[in-house]
Amino acid sequence: MKVTVTTRSGRELIKGQVELNDSATVVDLQEAIHKRTKKYYPSRQRLTLPIKPGSKEKPTVLQSKKSLKDYTDGNIDQLTVVFKDLGPQVSYPILFFWEYLGPLLIYPIFYFFPVYQYLGFKGERVIHPVQTYALYYWCFHYFKRIMETFFVHRFSHATSPVSNVFRNCAYYWSFGAYIAYYVNHPLYTPVTDLQMKIGFGIGILCQVSNLYCHIILRNLRGDGSGGYQIPRGFLFNIVTCANYTTEIYQWLGFNIATQTVAGYVFLIVAAFIMTNWALAKHRRLKRLFDGKEGRSKYPRRWVILPPFL
Amino acid sequence: MGFLSRTYLTIYNWTVFIGWAQVLYLAVKTLIESGHEHVYDAVEKPLQLAQSAAFLEILHGLIGLVRSPITATLPQIGSRLYVTWGILYSFPEVRTHILVSSLVISWGITEVIRYSFFGTKEAFGSAPSFLLWLRYSAFLLLYPTGISSEVGLIYIAMPYMKVSEKYCIRMPNKWNSSFDYFSAAIATLGLYIPGSPFLYSYMLSQRKKALSKTKRE
Repeated sequence: MKVTVTTRSGRELIKGQVELNDSATVVDLQEAIHKRTKKYYPSRQRLTLPIKPGSKEKPTVLQSKKSLKDYTDGNIDQLTVVFKDLGPQVSYPILFFWEYLGPLLIYPIFYFFPVYQYLGFKGERVIHPVQTYALYYWCFHYFKRIMETFFVHRFSHATSPVSNVFRNCAYYWSFGAYIAYYVNHPLYTPVTDLQMKIGFGIGILCQVSNLYCHIILRNLRGDGSGGYQIPRGFLFNIVTCANYTTEIYQWLGFNIATQTVAGYVFLIVAAFIMTNWALAKHRRLKRLFDGKEGRSKYPRRWVILPPFL
Repeated sequence: MGFLSRTYLTIYNWTVFIGWAQVLYLAVKTLIESGHEHVYDAVEKPLQLAQSAAFLEILHGLIGLVRSPITATLPQIGSRLYVTWGILYSFPEVRTHILVSSLVISWGITEVIRYSFFGTKEAFGSAPSFLLWLRYSAFLLLYPTGISSEVGLIYIAMPYMKVSEKYCIRMPNKWNSSFDYFSAAIATLGLYIPGSPFLYSYMLSQRKKALSKTKRE
């Protein structure tokens, strides 16, 4: 079949057309485009079916696993696709690794090195037990995240725009330094022993639950696909994004134990970001599983934080 | 747009216009009659009132009553409120400086033009072309004079921030938190570096759009 590749402004991206087998897949098309345009490797390409001008519908995105035949409506030797350049891409595991490495390395700097001497706080520094436990807790958390990135998570997209590296690292690294500064401060005031134990107790429980949630999510994509399934089991039976729920409560535990404004600010911002993700995911699952044409209907569930949302 | 919103916005814009007209009048009168050291005391109350009314403008943007993007209004209103309350009100030592006069007059002229422009537009559906021209041209001079006055006054207030420790939170405390007003002022001055060209170029592009539209009509 012959495929015409145009840009969104109508210009032909590839002079002439791309010639492919009738049984070719989208991946084959992407590789063919890459061969003709060295700059645009497959993960940079976003291919859609053309929409009628003025139509308010969202364009259909071509999915890599499918064959091109699925997108031709009857006329199997002709297909037109619209190309969009997503910009330079970085793989998700690499992105996550760099985001999480920052907090993992920056936080201990404030604990182990005489940072505060250079900030004007002379004199001896007494380290409270809670500060040591907080160090272990924090470092375990980010070590866990890195391990999950490489061994547990199955991503729906292979890559993310490179600009996200700077944005995400700024977020994680800045908050890491901000919190580390206050928890390890020479003038830090610890909470009661009981409060500390309750805080870390909740935190550890939720981190373990969070890991279990991630494993459940991974098994939904057992065949290595990036598709969407209805999550079931454990907390997913009552809340769509149980993984985010446990993550938020885990940070709450850390803050109950360490009690800093910085930590709570981070908790609020992180909860806000995750809530936005959760709303989008919940909406997507309800749309995909609408109960029609033999598909299951998505059950009634909390989105992220029962009993509020 | 609803009749109610138009009426409300008309009243809002003309009320704040009167406030700023008062500020401008008192500022110039005091400057000529008594000298720049007394300008702040003469304008303090109407200035605080007119400037604080700008809070409502953030609300208007958020609920969609006006079209201005919040990214353009928030920094401008933020810096105005900061200088009015966080600098002039909080550190009386700077009130006698001549930059107060240039500040208040720059703000006064800009706002008198802006509010009468929007007040006329809301009331009659459009504004006379000279007012449109003024609204989209006066900023060319008044933004630089206004912004320089803001920056200058923040800078002059800084030694007093350090000495007085006003608004500072020191450790140790129960919430393991700290805040240094002096450092925050440095950070704010830092924000003026990208912020000023951003706002100025935003107004330039608005000017292009607004003035070319009338040419075509």
